Parts: sequence; structure tokens; C-alpha cells
Amino acid sequence: MTKQQKHRVLASAVLILTLGVAQNVNAMHIMEGYLPGGFCIAWGVICLPFLWMGFRSIRKSLNENRRVLPLLAMAGAFIFVISSLKIPSVTGSCSHMTGTGLGALLFGPGAVSILGLIVLLFQAILLAHGGLTTLGANVFSMAVAGPFVSYGIYRLCQKGGVNKRLAVFLAAAFGDLFTYCVTAFQLAIAHHSDVSVGGAFAKFLAVFAPTQIPLAVIEGILTVLIIAALETYARPELRAAGFLKEER
Amino acid sequence: MISIDRLCYNSNLRYVNAGEKFAFAVLSLCACVLSRSIPVSCFVLVIMGILSVWKGGIPFSCYMRYMGVPLVFLLLSSLAIIINFSGEPLDLFAFSVGGIYITGSRESLFYALNLILTALASVSCLYFLSFHTPMPDILSVLRRLRCPKLILELMLLIYRFIFVLFEVAHAIRVSQNSRLGNRNYRTSMKSFGAMASALLIRAMKKSDALYNAMEARCYNGDIRVLDENFPPRGKEIILIVVFEIILYGLVVIEML
Repeated sequence: MTKQQKHRVLASAVLILTLGVAQNVNAMHIMEGYLPGGFCIAWGVICLPFLWMGFRSIRKSLNENRRVLPLLAMAGAFIFVISSLKIPSVTGSCSHMTGTGLGALLFGPGAVSILGLIVLLFQAILLAHGGLTTLGANVFSMAVAGPFVSYGIYRLCQKGGVNKRLAVFLAAAFGDLFTYCVTAFQLAIAHHSDVSVGGAFAKFLAVFAPTQIPLAVIEGILTVLIIAALETYARPELRAAGFLKEER
Repeated sequence: MISIDRLCYNSNLRYVNAGEKFAFAVLSLCACVLSRSIPVSCFVLVIMGILSVWKGGIPFSCYMRYMGVPLVFLLLSSLAIIINFSGEPLDLFAFSVGGIYITGSRESLFYALNLILTALASVSCLYFLSFHTPMPDILSVLRRLRCPKLILELMLLIYRFIFVLFEVAHAIRVSQNSRLGNRNYRTSMKSFGAMASALLIRAMKKSDALYNAMEARCYNGDIRVLDENFPPRGKEIILIVVFEIILYGLVVIEML
């Protein structure tokens, strides 16, 4: 390798690193128009059963108690606000939580799928994060896959008798990581120009890793802090939120 | 707080019928996504830019700043598309590292460029909708498209609550700052956790109060509000139809 080539490699490495850490980091919404039409429709269809389930569960709890409606709306607005506030991050860039893991723990994954749909639509229209055609893909990764994994991990940890704070941390962090993996997978199967899907998947994972892995850890820590504070100050409210899911 | 929301209430196209704007933006968006070709994308990008800035009165610098929002995502994912690791070098560039090459092909570069352009054009369609149509108008269009009533009601309430909660969050942030919160990394993590939990408690209290207020005003499971209605104008409809015919003609030519 000549000296010039070494310089080029160095320059591209610096470029990648600066792009990775110094910019506004969102929770990886797939941009408007980034997926081909077929994939947009396919991901939308995949989401439908989950959304239908969420819709049914919300309607059932509404029929039992109408007071749930404003509560659900507040939960949705809470997820939106939490996910659009800047959180402290290690590198000085500004980044945002997904907030859906926290939502899934508090309100149950079924309700979060519908709330997530609405929140993602608002994020697309009001904040230009994500888009209308990629709504299906984003709903699947952020409002279905992530929350279900978070909730599943939390329940498993509870059954296994793991420390509650550790369980919350693991649930939120792995939910976030899973969202990021699903998004990378969605990008990879849509765009693999001269490599296999697997290779493209690895590349997308690698490119977004420097921003997403610290974010997942921070999200986990923050979720633990929030749940701990809620348990100290807001037992009745927690019970009201858990009431949406009847268990817990 | 949410600057797009402020922009759309001040837009010159705000009082144009919301259905027209919605149909225009969504049809053009579909054309971009379907064709994924450079001419269609450029055409849409230019037309949407001109309409938003010149007709809608969005400041040019502001428009350009918003077009930059998706840039980080686009650059990062284009890097993943262009750069390749393989045993033999491809035709665009190649650096050897150990036994393998970091390399890229001309084809994937064009693919990535095309993708960036399509995404920017689609984003400009989305912006045409969101810069000129306030959320209540979009909701009334969705109502006409027979979106389930439960979802619409949730959307209406969530839209309202977002601003309430932002205000609360801002007030909490100010009072935390004045009490030496957010000084360094540890305190800012602690402050954020405290703020989020206080926010949830406030949100629950407010939702309770809201329900009581609605109940006191004869709420029976149905929120009815008057929408402002601006009738569609013939001239605008004709222009939109002509534009869409030209656009889809272009799409068909490109796909052949």
C-alpha cells in the first residue's frame, strides 16, 4: 500500500467516524421513499395482524371503562414527547430515545402497537422522521418488534427471578437493539446491489452500530431511572397504567 | 417547539382544500417510489420546491434546512451500499487491507445516487403535505377516507396532548437547570429520568382531569368537533390532474 492509499483509508475512516458520532442521531427511522413499493406494502401487511390485535385489546378495555381513552392518548403523547426530547449522550451529539420499550413495559405491547402507529405518523408529519410510504416498515421495527421483545424479556426475567432493575435495563436495551437489527435487515433485503442479503445486512449493521449501540445502553439506563422514580412516587398511577393490560 | 407545526399554520396554502393537497402529495409520492428513476425524481423535487417556497411562502433557507434532515441517514446507508469487502477488486475503487479489498463498483455508486435522489424527492412530497396542512385538516381527510373512529379520536387527543406535555417538559427542564440539574453527564442522566417520570405522573393526572371535564360536558364515547371546511376549487383540481397525468406519463415512459 502506498502512502497515498494509506491517507485515503485514513480519510475515509475519519469520515465514517465523524458521520457516526457527531450528528443528530435519531432512532433509525427509515426515510421516506427509501424502500421500493413492494417492500412498503409487504411490511404494512405484516404489521396488520399486530395492529388488529392492539385495536381489539384497546376496544375491549374501552368498553369496560371509558376512562381509558384519555389515558391511552396521554400515553401516546408521552411516548412522542419522550422520543423527541434530547437525551444526554456520551459524544456530545444530540440523540433521542425510542420510548417504545418504556411504553411496552408500562402499557403492554398490544396497546403500544397502535400508539406506535400514531406516534410514527406524527413523527413523519411533524418532525420529518420517517415517512408515509415507509410507515409500515417503521411500525414493524419500532412499534411491533421492539416492544414485543422488550415485554417478552421483561416477563422472562420476572419468571426467572432476576433483579427487577436489571430486568428493566435488559428489556429496554435489547428492545432497542432488536429494533436496530430489524431496521438493518429491512434495508438489507431491499438494497443489496452487488452482495448477498447477508453481506448487506452485516454492512448496514456495521454502519449504524456506532450510533445505535451506545444509544441502546443509554436508553436502558434511562428506562431504569424512570421506572425507579415512578415506583417511588407514583404507585397509584402505575397501577392505573397496568390496568390497561389487566395483569402486572 | 415543533417548528413544522408553526410553519404550516403560517403557510399561504393553508386555506386550500386539504383533500386536494393530500391527493397531490400522496400521488406524487407514489410516483417517486414506483418509478425510482432520476428524471422523475428531479422533476418532482423541482416542482415541489418551487410550490413550497414560491406559492407556499416557506423561507428558502428554512426549506433547505429541512431538506438536510434526512441527510445523515442517507449518507450512512449509502456508505453501506457503496463500500464492499471482497477477495477481488471491483471497478470503481479498491484499497487492499490484509488479504481482502475494501472496494466498490460503479453500478452500486449509481444505485446509491439514484436512491438518494428518490428519497429526497419523496421527502419533498411529504414536506408539501406537512408544511401546508395543519394536523386537524389531515385528520378530517382521514375521516373522509373512513379511518376507524377510535384511531381518529386517539390521534386528535394525542395531537392536543403533545403540546401540553411539551410545555410541562420545558417548565421542568427550566426549573431543573435553575437548581443545578444538567450540569454534567451524571446529573443530566438523573435529571432526564426525574423529568420523564414527573412528566408521566403529570400526564396521568391531566388525563384524569380531562375525562372529568368531558364527562361534565355530556361525553358519551364520541368526540365531535367542527372542522373548518374550505371548498375545493375547479382550477386547482384541473392543475393537479394535469400535473399528475404528466408525472405518471413520465413514470410509464421511464419504466418501459
